[in-house]
Amino acid sequence: MNGYNFAYLDEQTKRMIRRALLKAVAIPGYQVPFGGREMPMPYGWGTGGVQLTASILGADDILKVIDQGADDTTNAVSIRHFFQRVAGVETTTATTAADVIQTRHRIPETPLRSGQILVFQVPIPEPLRFIEPSEQETRLMHALEEYGVMHVKLYEDIARYGHIATTYAYPVKVDGRYVMDPSPIPKFDNPKLDGNPALMLFGAGREKRLYAIPPYTRVESLDFEDHPFEIQRWEHSCALCGSDHSYLDEVITDDKGGRMFVCSDTDYCQTRRGEVA
Amino acid sequence: MNLSWPALDDTVHDSQRLFRQVLGAMSEPGTVHELVVPTPPAQPQKPLLGAALWGALLSLCDLDTTIWIGAELDSPALREALTFHTGARITDDPASADFALLTHASFDPRTPFAVGSDTYPDRGTTLLVAVERLENDSNGNTKGERDGQSGWRLSGPGIAESRVLDIGDGAGCRALMTRLAGNRASFPQGLDAIFGCGARLAAIPRSTRIASAEARVDSREVN
Amino acid sequence: MYVAVKGGEQAIANAHRWLADRRRGDRDRPELEVAQIGDQLRLAVDRVMSEASLYDPELAALAFKQASGDLTEAVFLLRAYRTTLPRLAVSEPLDTASMRIERRISATYKDIPGGQILGPTYDYTHRLLDFLQLAGAEVPPAETRDDVTDAEACPQILALLNDEGLVEQEIDDGSEPADITRDPPDYPMDRAARLQMLARGDEGYLLALGYSTQRGYGRNHPFAGEIRLGQVEVEIHVAEWDETICVGEIALSECQMINQFGGSREAAPQFTRGYGLAFGHNERKTMAMALVDRALRAEELGEPIIGPAQQAEFVLAHADSVDAAGFVSHLKLPHYVDFQSELDLLRRLRREHARNSSPELGESLDRPSTEEETSARKLGQGKHDQESGVHGL
Repeated sequence: MNGYNFAYLDEQTKRMIRRALLKAVAIPGYQVPFGGREMPMPYGWGTGGVQLTASILGADDILKVIDQGADDTTNAVSIRHFFQRVAGVETTTATTAADVIQTRHRIPETPLRSGQILVFQVPIPEPLRFIEPSEQETRLMHALEEYGVMHVKLYEDIARYGHIATTYAYPVKVDGRYVMDPSPIPKFDNPKLDGNPALMLFGAGREKRLYAIPPYTRVESLDFEDHPFEIQRWEHSCALCGSDHSYLDEVITDDKGGRMFVCSDTDYCQTRRGEVA
Repeated sequence: MNLSWPALDDTVHDSQRLFRQVLGAMSEPGTVHELVVPTPPAQPQKPLLGAALWGALLSLCDLDTTIWIGAELDSPALREALTFHTGARITDDPASADFALLTHASFDPRTPFAVGSDTYPDRGTTLLVAVERLENDSNGNTKGERDGQSGWRLSGPGIAESRVLDIGDGAGCRALMTRLAGNRASFPQGLDAIFGCGARLAAIPRSTRIASAEARVDSREVN
Repeated sequence: MYVAVKGGEQAIANAHRWLADRRRGDRDRPELEVAQIGDQLRLAVDRVMSEASLYDPELAALAFKQASGDLTEAVFLLRAYRTTLPRLAVSEPLDTASMRIERRISATYKDIPGGQILGPTYDYTHRLLDFLQLAGAEVPPAETRDDVTDAEACPQILALLNDEGLVEQEIDDGSEPADITRDPPDYPMDRAARLQMLARGDEGYLLALGYSTQRGYGRNHPFAGEIRLGQVEVEIHVAEWDETICVGEIALSECQMINQFGGSREAAPQFTRGYGLAFGHNERKTMAMALVDRALRAEELGEPIIGPAQQAEFVLAHADSVDAAGFVSHLKLPHYVDFQSELDLLRRLRREHARNSSPELGESLDRPSTEEETSARKLGQGKHDQESGVHGL
């Protein structure tokens, strides 16, 4: 694309983000403020993830972009197309073939390997934001490791519904210190955060924060002795590939209550079907 | 203009490649990475400011960064080269430095580098330390069996179980590793360190737990 | 059998083609020229420049055209372009006192040195639709006078009050102001950073907040001390020549409000100020901005914080239309994975609720059934051993 630098961002912006990423990795789960830039797509549509990807991506990298676990959702298509255009990188839908995976709302079902980088798009990076709206206050709460309010909020759910009523963006504690928002992934994906061999980077463009979970880092989902963390379960298998252990999307098939369940991770589902066939 | 300190051949793509290696080093503490960077000129002191640290400086520093230089590395030629190639500001105040350039030999734990605050722990100095030895053994075997206990056992984020890094056995190395081990007590405040030995680079961020390699052997025996 | 929807790329390309076609409209009519927009829709152009924080009337007009007149979209287009531009120099502070004035009024005095200059204003127009414009009637040219634009003849009204010590003085303490275009927001913000954020803030948002202070949610007793519009020179200092040179002129609107006085045992009572500045002809924006600027000084001036317009983090974090429009519109993106999570929980809660209140109803409310259910059950039975819970707190 004429007139723009490799991967769109200018080198000074990339260096600023790279320095912030090193600090993010050094302080796992801590939200590093960074001078986020406007990107040619709207805030809330992945500008944080896009800025991180643009800052780490090399000409030889193979990039995968998913939204809702799928490579073919419109926003995934759009972001993948953006990087093809501004960086000329090779793209793939195969989780195993990718060096960098930008994602919104899912962690792939295929286990990631050492050396891969998973970049999450984050809308609201502050896990305490819906309990305490003020940035000044939440910054202090993190500094003092004062997470009792989160505890109270989760417990209020239990008192009211009998369950913790948070099903996505379920808060985690990283390496025993920072409470962190894992981005709006379903809590089904939370266990994949723990001890993952891949480097996981999180970018919030509008809120101008980035954070990281290094490989092999202890990540615990918050819970209680008498209400242990548990993930979603389905009584169905994927109608396409038969998987009984992946995250399933419900698809409405008619107006008479008919529905089916299919893998949200399209690459995983297709790979399984290929292997079965 | 002293141009014996070389620039990167391709600013955009070399910077990206070097950054990814530094990111890899910081993400997996104690792993050793070989950087391809034009070699810096001969220098009087030992250890040298080698290609790895020079590459890290070129890829990370610009007008928005400040660099503090330890006395034994400091020279008008280096200052001139850093300013010329990166635009970074050289500072004499370690507390205001984003990066500090030093050697293990001269490390003084009393130097007041910035360690950030509990509210902004990221506002701390990253040490770039030239060392004379940089080896790791991801199997956990120590060099100790061969030449004494100069290895350090690392664990924590970025390390599946444990990893041994050997940066040499001088008093400066021990003082430095002792200081970095102290990061745990002050976490999230702390110092992050990047080591360079020639073209090789490794890192120990503040999240890493550090013990002498001997201690690891003991703990394994207990297990 | 369900097949995942494919061809997202083609769908996006088609949508963009359709959009371009709609934008062009009826081909029997001449296409709008960007220069026409700059000339004839200049208030829209000025607003786009202000909120995008880029002074470039031609590109702002292009953005307005490209956005089919959607101001928020146009602001975003120009802002996204702005962020790719290198910073070549930093100007000297603009001197609005030496403005080449087109309009200048004060509500605080009947007569002022240099006079009240109405300029090209909608004020006092009767809001009657002009059907002659519908018929395409020509507009006679305005008469111009050169003698009224002399800056020296039009001193700033607040400077006159300064002489008497009646109004607080703004003193440059020489500190480097924050740069909101490069540094992430760090609350609490000083006034320089706040004014920058307000200057690019959405006009409608600031208007509503400013209005709310007038209705009592943080009232600050404003008087429009002076509103001026005109051309101001932009100067940069060239270090090599050790000289300050003018690189051009930009149109600005400025509003200086005179507000409720404060004082204490030590300090004599004085009027306080609220300040508004915007590119181009943006008078309403600058007035609203001045009201909000003054409201945000509540803490500094020891006033009780009772209205939303006085809560700095709230006001500033939500002022930017690019931020706000982006995040609201992102709800259009697929969220079906998270929705599925919520569905699953809600069904479970309803089952439990029904069982507790009526066991039979609970059965009928059980999970939805599918054709594949039987086989799925066979496959899935016993394999969903949940991940072991960890105790993070």
